[in-house]
Amino acid sequence: MTPAAAANDEKLAALAAAGDAAAFEMLVSRHQARVYRLAWRLTQSEADAQDILQETFLAAYRGLQLFRGASRFSTWLYRVAMNAALMHRRQQSRRKTEPLDAYLPRFDENGQHAAEPADLRTASRADEILDQKQLAERAREGLERLPDMYRDAFVLRDLQELSTDDVAELLGIDRAAVRQRVHRARLMLRGFLSHLAGVTP
Amino acid sequence: MTAQLVCRDGVELLMDYLEGVLSETEREAIEAHLTRCPRCVAFVESYQQTPRILRAATAAELPEHLAASLRQFLAEER
Repeated sequence: MTPAAAANDEKLAALAAAGDAAAFEMLVSRHQARVYRLAWRLTQSEADAQDILQETFLAAYRGLQLFRGASRFSTWLYRVAMNAALMHRRQQSRRKTEPLDAYLPRFDENGQHAAEPADLRTASRADEILDQKQLAERAREGLERLPDMYRDAFVLRDLQELSTDDVAELLGIDRAAVRQRVHRARLMLRGFLSHLAGVTP
Repeated sequence: MTAQLVCRDGVELLMDYLEGVLSETEREAIEAHLTRCPRCVAFVESYQQTPRILRAATAAELPEHLAASLRQFLAEER
């Protein structure tokens, strides 16, 4: 193992900021898969994810001097990646999509669930009912159909598995707003999964 | 919040309940409701499974050719 391979991210970032190219390459190889996945989930497109991936690491490289080590490098890199993704989004004309509101849970006049337990549970088995390829295609569609503000929160919190605190900081909103957005996204996607698995909400 | 919470109220509070940020009164109202509402039990299960299913279904791997072009891009730009 080279010295760089044993160093933690913050140490590597300091070395890279001082001009050590190998240290920067090590950071890229450690984080590229996660940044790519984040970018893909935000855009549902390989080409867009590639652009964001490149912009993120270029911005990180140019901004290394600004990384002070006060936060973890991975948290800082997330911020750089989110900025790159938002810049990228502004340059794109968003495809018009059908909203997922139709899949929100339904209640009767007394405020009780309109559906039966077996149907309410069906979304849990969407990954058994649909084959993997079908599910991947529809999951991509589900993300695409979420409003941006819900998608961003859901992707960071539930798909990238960041803490509510980290998501709040990244999106510049308070924790209650993060929870509210993630909640809306979960409700819509849960209903969408039910629908895919053959249950009308 | 009373013990007479209905499904719709429970759904509205679900995320906060699972994150442990509800008041004790609200938490108890939800738990009391869950003990007598099989619909909500089923709903909560599917609500909790939704992130897991979507996570697995959107776990895009970085293709090798993109990793290679990232390296080339950075080498040229730096």
